[in-house]
Amino acid sequence: MNSNGNFVYTPGEHEAEKASNSYLMSLIAVIAGLPLPIINLLATVIFYLANRKSTYFVRWHCTQALLSQFSLLLMNSTGFWWTISIIFSDERVTTHYIAYMITIFIFNLTEFIATIYTAIQTRKGIHVQWWLYGNLTNIVCRP
Amino acid sequence: MRKLFIEILIFIALFFSLWFALGRIDWMSLFKIEQLTKSTEEKLGDTFWEFFSKTETEIKSTSVNKSLDSLVSHICKENNIDRSTIKLHLLRKQDINAFTLPNRHIVVFSGLIESSENEAELCGVLGHEMAHMEKNHVMKKLLKEVGLSVLVSMTSGKGSPEAARQLAKLLSSSAYDRKLESEADIASVDYMIKADIDPAPFADILYRLGDEEKNIPNQVYWISTHPESKERAENIVQYIKGKKIIKKSVLSAGEWERMKEKLSEKED
Repeated sequence: MNSNGNFVYTPGEHEAEKASNSYLMSLIAVIAGLPLPIINLLATVIFYLANRKSTYFVRWHCTQALLSQFSLLLMNSTGFWWTISIIFSDERVTTHYIAYMITIFIFNLTEFIATIYTAIQTRKGIHVQWWLYGNLTNIVCRP
Repeated sequence: MRKLFIEILIFIALFFSLWFALGRIDWMSLFKIEQLTKSTEEKLGDTFWEFFSKTETEIKSTSVNKSLDSLVSHICKENNIDRSTIKLHLLRKQDINAFTLPNRHIVVFSGLIESSENEAELCGVLGHEMAHMEKNHVMKKLLKEVGLSVLVSMTSGKGSPEAARQLAKLLSSSAYDRKLESEADIASVDYMIKADIDPAPFADILYRLGDEEKNIPNQVYWISTHPESKERAENIVQYIKGKKIIKKSVLSAGEWERMKEKLSEKED
């Protein structure tokens, strides 16, 4: 994760608040939406759509928050349906299943911590660019 | 762009490596999942059997039990099933029924033996119940119906005896889902073929009991609780078509008749 204040311009107080909210949005949705993995993605998509015509700083952070949810959605959906199949079909709990659930828990936790940190930093107007997602956002989101 | 591509690859590799590495740890033993399931299954089986042994009359006639045991032992021997772990019980009851309880208990009602026209028909039903036992369908059904937490609380003495009674009744009087039933049918046919027992009579008993059920629905439990019996019989006929089948008897004609006579004498 890159934490620096070097965005192309210095964001205003209002922008910093909105950008920070995009991360908070996914955090709240994670808490409210568990165990359905689609909820937090939906919440982030809605927030992204609402802010897609906003300033560059806000759009950039909404996009980064959204993209980070995609990979989690894939992992969590697999975990969710795997669990459903264990409950409702012949599938049994195996070492691979437990290992998978721990793996996605670690990825979710990492993302959760990174999201809190980024929400705090962006609120202060500091630009935080995540490893991988930051570069992806740079391609998707143009000034 | 190249840097991004490498980062995506690293991310995917990181995910799978972590999963792979964590998969090396034996979580099942660590969380004692298998032991928990096994001890729960043992206690449940004993609790449920206790219910039936108290409410029904167990037949302890040496000759009848010996004949029934010969059939089960023969199927087990030819199919590498550990016979010593199976608890086979014969109950005096006119209902045409047989069912499996957790911890490898198989309960057969005398009505089933009396309504079987030959040993192969009985073997078909016994094989079907043994398949439910071998494929762990009983615990799957219980877990699906009430969940592990209820089962564990039941075995730790926290559950109500009434709930245990209800579950025991559920196991004796309701079918598994269609997929598990047909899986058990096919497994039973396979057991019979390996044991040189003609599987065709298994389809016959399904056809016949399907018809009888219309006349005496309350007694033909095994069919009324196993729906689509005719469809199942047809599946069995289709499955055995073209298969090389050796037909041998396990019991002599005399032994089979004596077993049925003994049951009708009501000698326990």
